[in-house]
Amino acid sequence: MTYPVPDNSRGIIALDENACTSCMLCARECPDWCIEIDSHKQTVQEEGARPRVVHVLDRFAIDFGLCMWCGICIEVCPFDALFWAKSYDHAATDPAQMVHERFDLRQWLNDVPEGTT
Amino acid sequence: MTWVQQVQDAREAGAVYFDVLTAVDLEADGFEVVCRLWDPDAKVEHLLATRCSREDPHVPSIVGVFAGAAWHERSVAEMFGIAFDGHDTAPLLLPESFEGHPLRKDFVLAAREAKQWPGAKDPGESDADLAVPRRRRAKPLGTREWPT
Repeated sequence: MTYPVPDNSRGIIALDENACTSCMLCARECPDWCIEIDSHKQTVQEEGARPRVVHVLDRFAIDFGLCMWCGICIEVCPFDALFWAKSYDHAATDPAQMVHERFDLRQWLNDVPEGTT
Repeated sequence: MTWVQQVQDAREAGAVYFDVLTAVDLEADGFEVVCRLWDPDAKVEHLLATRCSREDPHVPSIVGVFAGAAWHERSVAEMFGIAFDGHDTAPLLLPESFEGHPLRKDFVLAAREAKQWPGAKDPGESDADLAVPRRRRAKPLGTREWPT
């Protein structure tokens, strides 16, 4: 970041992968259809417990070329996995570069203001 | 009271700031043309509305009261296909070759037809799982089954 922006600025959307349960709520609520989530089921066997099925996130991508910064995905997330980050300046010369995968989204967690995570 | 008179009265009552004029597609009930005015002294908004039929959609133009409404009426004319009596509404935003009125509810959105809805997948699924037929799949909110 090069220029100070207020804490409540809508810079870009960050993802906490550890909190995400692949529940699909954000992808379904998004008016622009810009969130793509792929996941698979995995059976976990813990000592002394019955085996249980968990969802493992394979892909989480936001197409910021479609996103209109409405923040509905952040609002609906029941697990607090999505946040507004202050990072900005993500313009690109190719529409494909506007699609940001989980690695970018995770890295922007560093730009989420203190107190919101 | 006529539509133009209603707007005129509001202006004389202090709502001198014209904010926006737009329309709502009420489907079988026709169209509602909505106009928002602002009274800067009393800090009060005036929301005025009038209706027209779907078969012959036209309302009187308020350009005589607020000249600034001209662009709004041109936009509503091309987006909803509503005529404004007394105002020659030239196209404003759409390309010349564009056909149809995109803000009407029966206008099929090509982008929504072409793109697969990302929410069709259930938790624990990826694109490949969509090929498996299922009796109940989640359907996108706010969209409709288009007549084919």
